[in-house]
Amino acid sequence: MATQENNDDRIALLQGTLDLLILKTLLLGPCHGQGVARMIQRQSEDVFLVDHGSLYVALQRLEDRKWIRAKWGVSENNRKARFYSLTPKGREQLAEKTGEWTRLTRAMGLILDASGGLGEEA
Amino acid sequence: MFRQKRSAEDFAEEIKAHLELEADELRGEGLGVDQAQWMARREFGNVRAAQERFYLKGRWVALDKLMRDLRFGLRSLKQSPGFAATAILTLALGIGANTAVFSVMNAVLLKSLPVGDPNRLVYLRTSNPPRGAGTIDSNETFSYPVYDALRQQGRGLAPVMAYVPLSGSKVAVRYGAQPEEAEGDMVSGTFFTGLGVNLPLGRGFSDADETNHAPLAVLSYNYWTRRFARAPAVLGKTLYVSGVPMTIVGVAAEGFEGVEGGGSTDFWIPLQNRRELNAWGNPTEDGKLYIADSTWWCLRLIGRLAPGVSREQALAQLQPVFQTAAYVGLGGSPMEGEKRPVLSLADAKNFPGSYNTDYGRTLRMLMAMVGLVLLIALANVAMLLMARNAARQREFSVRQALGAGRGELLRQLLTESLILVTAGGALAWGFAQMATRLLGRWAQIETSLAPDRTVLLFTLGVLAFAGLLFGLAPLRVALAGRAELALKTSAATSNMDAGKSRTGRIIVALQMALCVVLLVGGGLLVRTLRNLENTPLGMNVDGLVVFGVKPNIPSLAEGRAFYVNLIGKLRELPGVESVTVMVERPGSWWSDNSDMQVDGKLPDVANGAARTVRSNVVGPDVFRTLGVPVLAGRDFADSDTATSPHVGIINEEFARRFLPGLNPLGHTIGTDDGRWSMTIVGMVKNHKYRSIDEEPIPMAWYEYAQIPIVGAMNVEIRVHGDPLAILPAARKVVQQLDPNLPLIRPMTQREQFDTTIAHQVLFARLAGFFGFLAVLLVATGLYGTLAYRVSLRTAEIGVRMAVGARRGQVVWMILKDGLVLTVAGVCLGVPLAMLVGRALSSSLYGVRALDGMSYALAVAGLAVVALVASAVPAGRAASVDPMRALRTE
Repeated sequence: MATQENNDDRIALLQGTLDLLILKTLLLGPCHGQGVARMIQRQSEDVFLVDHGSLYVALQRLEDRKWIRAKWGVSENNRKARFYSLTPKGREQLAEKTGEWTRLTRAMGLILDASGGLGEEA
Repeated sequence: MFRQKRSAEDFAEEIKAHLELEADELRGEGLGVDQAQWMARREFGNVRAAQERFYLKGRWVALDKLMRDLRFGLRSLKQSPGFAATAILTLALGIGANTAVFSVMNAVLLKSLPVGDPNRLVYLRTSNPPRGAGTIDSNETFSYPVYDALRQQGRGLAPVMAYVPLSGSKVAVRYGAQPEEAEGDMVSGTFFTGLGVNLPLGRGFSDADETNHAPLAVLSYNYWTRRFARAPAVLGKTLYVSGVPMTIVGVAAEGFEGVEGGGSTDFWIPLQNRRELNAWGNPTEDGKLYIADSTWWCLRLIGRLAPGVSREQALAQLQPVFQTAAYVGLGGSPMEGEKRPVLSLADAKNFPGSYNTDYGRTLRMLMAMVGLVLLIALANVAMLLMARNAARQREFSVRQALGAGRGELLRQLLTESLILVTAGGALAWGFAQMATRLLGRWAQIETSLAPDRTVLLFTLGVLAFAGLLFGLAPLRVALAGRAELALKTSAATSNMDAGKSRTGRIIVALQMALCVVLLVGGGLLVRTLRNLENTPLGMNVDGLVVFGVKPNIPSLAEGRAFYVNLIGKLRELPGVESVTVMVERPGSWWSDNSDMQVDGKLPDVANGAARTVRSNVVGPDVFRTLGVPVLAGRDFADSDTATSPHVGIINEEFARRFLPGLNPLGHTIGTDDGRWSMTIVGMVKNHKYRSIDEEPIPMAWYEYAQIPIVGAMNVEIRVHGDPLAILPAARKVVQQLDPNLPLIRPMTQREQFDTTIAHQVLFARLAGFFGFLAVLLVATGLYGTLAYRVSLRTAEIGVRMAVGARRGQVVWMILKDGLVLTVAGVCLGVPLAMLVGRALSSSLYGVRALDGMSYALAVAGLAVVALVASAVPAGRAASVDPMRALRTE
């Protein structure tokens, strides 16, 4: 059967990272779901594969947590679409999650690089 | 109701918008219209899955599921309304009866006194009173000097509190103009503080109030509510008690109605020292009140253990003090050969012992009976459910085959049982409320019977148990039908399971055994009731009315004049046939018992038999008024006065026992100390005196005008027509003589006697009712089981009839089934019933515990029920059309 065989180099998103990516994307301004998906894909230079179904469930989850809010509106090409925007609470969460993420990647980097002997840190 | 924050439609709309936007974009990248749409959809993946995930994420999915289960359960119950109604009613009756009886038991036996730290409270008891002392109760009452000595001691018990009623029944009170009656106690100054009873309004008493005999009153919350509509303005108002003004200073905590079980005290006043307010409302004896009369043991005592003192230590400290104080005014020491009384302390946590024995045994037995009824009811519903679910086996199999998990089936069964139990429980609660109120009224329990948390927990516990039982019991049957069974279509093969129906048969047989037990118990008690109600009283109570008066009597002469006056005025009322007065009213449980001299000496009795004589003080025309035949001599008359020769009247039993073979007229009888004697001028027929279920006992009557003491009396009036109709006129007459006097406990003499068997009547009626209920339940259970079994055997019956079985044979086959069960139930039930009968024997009157009639009736009753319950299914079986039955194969 036909599957997405031509996108082998795409990586499925890590658990929990989707939320962070959505928040980050919305920091630029209100956007609808399809826009968010495109934006993530484009900005990750097509590395991330965004499962659209998961995206909408995630959007709903963030809305339930009151990190983002949604409103039906009209897109630039005159289509009806549901626009999401960050709430103040969402901004806080973004800052917090970003901090967590940097700490995580740095720690991962330290461990993975240790064998390579690239110890720049003092 | 609960709504999802966002509808699934809205979510679907958003996905549609997404697909359009994506297609637009793809077209912008150069794809054709169709290809763009196809790509957008492909990129998105499974739209349905996303929608499903959205739905499952919804916050109320669990509730949604429950609602769906409930709806499904209701729908499936609606398909068999007969089953649902039977199950719910059965549960409501079984659980309601238990809740009602438990409510009463809880209020009477389990609930602690509404006081602070009841575990440290003790009632004081004595092994016996010292010789020469008169008592109210030979174990529970004490003299004032004993009270005084114990409270002064102050170490083991701190404080010791005394309380004593102002009257054996009710006392006259007046608030405003209208005289009324109420129950009042005189108490120590430490009463409220010592018991730890709060006063939400006003204050209690102090030591000084007791010392000064302050004219103050505290109302019970109940009385305050009932009589004063909870008006806070009652504080400072005057309540006249026996004509003595008392200032209302407080209202006691809700639920506190005195420390004696069953009764309900309306008000309390500090211990008084005046003639109108003597203990128990008695006239003074030799001019002495209860405080001065050390030979009258009339005070009840309750104490609180001093901090850090155990009950044994307290008793050790008080015992010598008590044994010395007991002989104050009685010569200081015991007579020769007399044992000193011994003090003991009894638990006051619950209501006192006497109450326990009176109601306790009856209530426990009732509780056991309703417990049996509940067992039968639960078994019934469980069996109905099992039968029903067995019939649904095909349904379950199909559902399992279609992918329903065992968990889903279990949830569905539990939901159905939840619906049944909830509906049954709600109905039961309402039913119990009604039944409790009725029970309280019948049993004349005056304490509050309102259900509290304990009762609620009890009911919820029973309901939870029932819910689980009903959910789980049928599960076995449901799961036994495995998925592949759905493929078998033969009714005969898919529904036959011998082991399962054996369980059902055993349950029915056990139910029948329990039913026999309840029927025998009910039968014995109902026969007791009939015996009691038909016992001849030996007097004519029709047209007889009685009420009490407690006039203020400053002197003997004035007291006598009051009654002469009263009798005279009452006789003139239209419709009155005759009037008399007496100290003890018949049928009130009270009697004055003592030894009496006959012809100047205590009579000889064979081998230590009792010499006790009951006596009463009465007015003129007493036996004519009561309708007791005078066998020899004459009745008392107006001509018997203080100055005429002292005369007395005896009953047959007195003559038979103490003057055997002699003409009693002309003999002298008198008090045991020889201070008082009189000549017998009449002998009357034996009649009931204290209660209906008593045996004849020697009796003697004094003329009230001839003895040196006069106090409260009961007035008996014989009228033509309705006896109660005379009361308004009588009340007017009494109040013309003294506006402070209410009529105390006015009622017909018949009612008065009925109070002496009220317990047995109540017990018998309830037992009869529960027996009837049990039969009803067993009948439905048996019918349900048999009908179900017949429905399972339709095919078999069809085959039998097709090969030549006659109708009669088929009917007999089904009937035999029911009869075998009945015989098994009877064989098991009769020995059980014999055990129960033995336990009941002390509650029986005029019927033996092994009364053949009761057993025969119980067995016959059960047989009839079994026959009727079997006949309908048997009839149905016989009318099976062989062709149709076979075609269902």
